[in-house]
Amino acid sequence: MSTAGNASTVKERAELALNDEFLRKAVKFTTERLRNGKKQASAEHGNWDDWRERGRQIRLHTIAHLDYYLNMFANQARANGVHVHFAETSAEAVKLSLEIAQRKQAKSVVKSKSMVTEELHLNHELESIGVEAIETDLGEYIIQLAGETPSHIIIPAIHKNRYQVADLLSREAGETLAPDTSILAGFVRKKLREKFLEADIGMTGCNFAIAETGSMVLFENEGNARMVTTVPKTQITLMGMERIIPSWADLEVMATLLPRSATGQKLTVYMSGITGPRREVDADGPDEMHIIIVDNGRSLQLGDPEFQELLNCIRCGACLNACPVYRHIGGHAYGGTYSGPIGAVLTPALQKNVAEWDDIANASSLCGACYEACPVKIPLHEMLIYLRRRKQEQGHGNAAESFGMKGFAAVMGSSKRYAGLVKLGKLGQKLVVRDGGIRLKLGPLKGWNTYRVTPSLPKKSFRDQWGTLEQELRHGLKEVAPDVRSRMEAIVQGRDSKGGNGHG
Amino acid sequence: MAKQADSHEEWLKQQAEDSKRKQEAFMNGIAQKLRRPRVTSAPEHPFRGAPDFWQAFEWPLEERVDRFEANFKAAGGHVERLADMEAAKRFIAEKAEALGAKYVIRQNQPELNGLGLEETLAASGAEVRVWNSEAEENWRARAAESDFGIVIADYAAAYTGSVTVLSSKDKGRSVSLLPTVLFVLIPLERLKTRLGEILIRFDEAGREQLPAGIHFISGPSRSADIENDLTIGVHGPGVVHALLIG
Repeated sequence: MSTAGNASTVKERAELALNDEFLRKAVKFTTERLRNGKKQASAEHGNWDDWRERGRQIRLHTIAHLDYYLNMFANQARANGVHVHFAETSAEAVKLSLEIAQRKQAKSVVKSKSMVTEELHLNHELESIGVEAIETDLGEYIIQLAGETPSHIIIPAIHKNRYQVADLLSREAGETLAPDTSILAGFVRKKLREKFLEADIGMTGCNFAIAETGSMVLFENEGNARMVTTVPKTQITLMGMERIIPSWADLEVMATLLPRSATGQKLTVYMSGITGPRREVDADGPDEMHIIIVDNGRSLQLGDPEFQELLNCIRCGACLNACPVYRHIGGHAYGGTYSGPIGAVLTPALQKNVAEWDDIANASSLCGACYEACPVKIPLHEMLIYLRRRKQEQGHGNAAESFGMKGFAAVMGSSKRYAGLVKLGKLGQKLVVRDGGIRLKLGPLKGWNTYRVTPSLPKKSFRDQWGTLEQELRHGLKEVAPDVRSRMEAIVQGRDSKGGNGHG
Repeated sequence: MAKQADSHEEWLKQQAEDSKRKQEAFMNGIAQKLRRPRVTSAPEHPFRGAPDFWQAFEWPLEERVDRFEANFKAAGGHVERLADMEAAKRFIAEKAEALGAKYVIRQNQPELNGLGLEETLAASGAEVRVWNSEAEENWRARAAESDFGIVIADYAAAYTGSVTVLSSKDKGRSVSLLPTVLFVLIPLERLKTRLGEILIRFDEAGREQLPAGIHFISGPSRSADIENDLTIGVHGPGVVHALLIG
């Protein structure tokens, strides 16, 4: 399914991504755009940190009392006439979905964006029982035609250019479509209109579920989620068990944080609250509505002091856009349903198999940009460290790394040992230094030198020079050289005449 | 056929039983993982809703109008301020004439019933259908083929440039979704400052009073999924006119 093919580690997949010039540019461009949009929107709104804190508190409170609120949601949704189901594992959720599809003798299912169904690989499962599953979000539709998986949580087809999209859609149309965005989108509108009207089942994810009224809330821009919840006779919603908020009042905070963080919009074009199936007297909306509440590893975070806050995530994608690593390698390199910093933590956390996903935690520079960007202040960069530590504790560490770390401790623990080692290094490097740098890709230098040049040890280190420096400082620095001084004065004068430091 | 329906009903009933049992296990599991007994009465929620400084925030009417207009236009929508419903009718009729609209669908709301849109639009060759006015009609299909959809907003919020429409027997969800061009009429007194002023009403109303569909609409349907190039009208209406009345 994945474009990543057989490459099995983040490093291998990232190399694939890094070799794709367009992908790198596209990912950079989009993430910059989204990130700037977010910065603008959050600054314009004002008091952003107060809102973030409020969002965090609401999420913390809900998760800390999840048994109460989830129970309430299930009871209220049932009272609204919804068929509520619980699935502990992805296999159970798939079984339930397929059973409903079979009972309804469904030929086709129209889907709006849902990360949970990506987790379950539900499209594939539906196809396997002969039910056509159609993604209706424009980007998701494109990558479904390409037989790929989403590479960005908000803009899933971020890695495709319009010529590639035109090729894919032309194949579907049976005629050549020009690589013009409005022509391509126009074709999709027409094509999917037919699909919406003939589909037996509409399938959605869930951004938030309101406990007090048993309502589910969807945020979107295209209108396809509204289509999916309005036109077909049966609606199935798959929802992560942690999507709960207590009330509509709390939704104001989420509606303030989510769109601004995701795309920089004040609100998405559509925000819909669905409370139960069509009322008896209504002329549209589904006759039958199912909500499948999915655990699939989420509850493993409960009571874990290091990872419980993962459940606060509102799936906005801001951490992806902020992450310098994501911006370079794109989403497919992460190899799981969720990419970027949140994916690097969530994927192993949901699967509890640190060993298999070990290298994903290393696809981060621990710079903390993800935490700064997060609208509910999840300390993702710290979680990445916890993850690396757990991997180490469970014996899945890198032997060379731990040897190196022990050696580092031994050397740095004693200045004598350090000085001796540096001296030794200066002698040893004579064999490998060329043009003031070391390019040898062997032993401990392999990882670093694959992409960079290790500087050679200087003839005189800072420590060696410290004595001289200290003396110079004690005896006072000499007057600035006259030519330098006059140049600086000229600059200052020029500045005065222009004013404003030339920054306008 | 009847037998099939019965067995589906039975299956649903069986599922409901299973689901309730599983619900108990699910909740007990959560409590256990949180290392405490089940929480069965409402916990104190000191952070409910928006921050306090926000709750009292309100713009005067004229500023609400200006901000709504600016935000709705920034999202690609169109805004007109009109004196009364008659002016709204004239505005819609002009657009129908100019665009050559053939089919128009409108909500079955009292403010629209008395307006005589049917006669006025018939003059330019457009047929007006009234949502759910006949039991046997396939109303989704009628909405899907319509050039214009006409609805009256239940609320609007200036701060985000959004209109709110609630579903009912007489107010189809399809009418604001399926037509190519959407007209939303907003009586001025329904224009609020914040989203929260509208959302709080759903808490106050309570579960039993809520309609099946509550929709906030903030401009035309859009996507930036192909090369970040903004496209309008992907699935929902591509042209949205917000008409402020009063």
